[in-house]
Amino acid sequence: MMPLHPLSRPALARGVRLRNDPITGEPVLLFPEGVLPLDTATHDIITRCTGEATIETIVLSLAREYDADPGTLRLDVCECLAQLRQRMLVAISK
Amino acid sequence: MNYRPYMLLAELTHSCPLHCPYCSNPVEYPRGRELSTEEWHRVFDEASQLGVLHVGFSGGEPLRRADLPALVAAAHAAGLYTNLITSAVGLQPQRAAQLREAGLDSIQISFQSDHETLADQIAGTSAHALKLQTAKLVRELGFPLTVNVVLHRGNIDRLDQIISLAEDLEAERLELANAQYYGWAFQNRAALLPTRSQIARASEVVAARKKQLLGQLDILFVTPDYYSERPKPCMNGWATRFLTVNPVGDVLPCPTASAIKDMRFDNVRTRPLAWIWCQSESFNRFRGTEWMPAPCCECPLREVDFGGCRCQAALITGDANATDPACALSPHRRTLTSFVEAMQEDDAAIRPFTAELGRLSFRQNSN
Repeated sequence: MMPLHPLSRPALARGVRLRNDPITGEPVLLFPEGVLPLDTATHDIITRCTGEATIETIVLSLAREYDADPGTLRLDVCECLAQLRQRMLVAISK
Repeated sequence: MNYRPYMLLAELTHSCPLHCPYCSNPVEYPRGRELSTEEWHRVFDEASQLGVLHVGFSGGEPLRRADLPALVAAAHAAGLYTNLITSAVGLQPQRAAQLREAGLDSIQISFQSDHETLADQIAGTSAHALKLQTAKLVRELGFPLTVNVVLHRGNIDRLDQIISLAEDLEAERLELANAQYYGWAFQNRAALLPTRSQIARASEVVAARKKQLLGQLDILFVTPDYYSERPKPCMNGWATRFLTVNPVGDVLPCPTASAIKDMRFDNVRTRPLAWIWCQSESFNRFRGTEWMPAPCCECPLREVDFGGCRCQAALITGDANATDPACALSPHRRTLTSFVEAMQEDDAAIRPFTAELGRLSFRQNSN
C-alpha cells in the first residue's frame, strides 16, 4: 500500500455518506455494508477530507482548533486516515 | 442494553434466476402474496422513524420486482442509505440508470467463482458472463461495487483467482462468505463443507492478498464456525441492530430465523414495525442473557458471543434455547465434530464440483 503522503488529499470514498443520526444527533458514516458512528476526533478529521485539503493542511487546521502540537496530531491523523482507507471509507489521492 | 435497528434487510421476493445449492433462503417458502409498492413504502417510513439508517434490497433477486426503482426512491426519500444485493441478472443499462436516478447508493453483485464453467455449474444457470459485463456497467455508472462470493468445497481452492477477479473488476469490497449451513446449504453440507486443509490454505491466501491490496480492496473473510472453538456472535446479539422483512411482510430478527420452527413472526400488514421491534415475542425471546441455559448462563463470554446462533442451535440440537453447538462447551459439539471429521479427505480425494452435481439439491423457485 502507498504510504500516506503529507501532500496527498483525502476525500470520502465513492458511495460513502456522512450524515447526522436523527435519533442521537451524532454523526455517522453510511457505506455499502454498514453504519459507523463517529467519535468527535474522527468526525473533525472527516469533515476536513474535502478532496481539496492536503493531510498537512488538515493537521495544521486541527492543531489551531485544538491548540495542540502539530507533531503529535500528525501521527493521530495519519493513523485515523489509514484505518478509514483500509475500510475503503476514505480515498486518498495526490 | 439499547436495542435499536440500524439496518433493514428488505427481501423483496424469493424468486431468483439462480439455483445455488447453498441459498440462504428458506427451503419452504413463506406462503402469501408479496408486499405491494405502497406497503414497502410504509415499511421504509416506519423503519426510518424507528432509527434504521441503511436498507439492503435483497431477495431472491430484487430486480425481479418491476417496481424496484420506485422502492429505492421511497427508501431514499425516507433518508435511508440504499444498497442493492443482486445476482446482476436483469440489471440492463437502462434499469441501472433508473436506479441511479432513484438514488441508489451502492451495488453488491454475487459471483459463484472466477471460472465461468464452474460458476455456471454452481449457479445452475449461465450467468457468469453477464455478471462480468454488468459489474463493468456498475463501475461506469459510478456506483461503489461489492463482490460477494459464497465459499465452499467446490470453489475455495480458487480463492486467489477469485480475489484477482474482484481486483480486476475494481471492486471496493470483497465479501468471502463461507457458506452458512442453514436452509439449502444445510441440506447440501456434505458436499459443501471445505476440508480443514482447504480452510488453512484459504486463510493464508487471504492474509497475503489482504496485505497486498490494503487501501484498494477491503477483503472480508470469516472462518466457518464448524472449524472454530467458539460460536460466532450471531447478529451481534438477537434483535439488537438488524431486522429483516421477508417478501410477504413477516419481520424476522435474522434472515434465517424461519429455521426456528416453533417461532411465530409478526407481519407488517397487521402490526406497526415499532411494535414488532419493541413488543413482539419473536424479537424479545433471546434478548439479554436471562433466556440462556448452562453452560452459557455462567460463561464469561456470554455478552461477547451471546450464546452464538439460535438458528444453528435449533437446526442441530432441536432446541433453539441451547448453546450453539459450534461452541466447544456445548454438549452437542460432538455431533458437529463427528460430521466435520467425516468430511476430511486428502486433497487428492476432493472431488471436482462436477462430480458433486448428482448429490446436490439445487434451489428451485416454488409457489
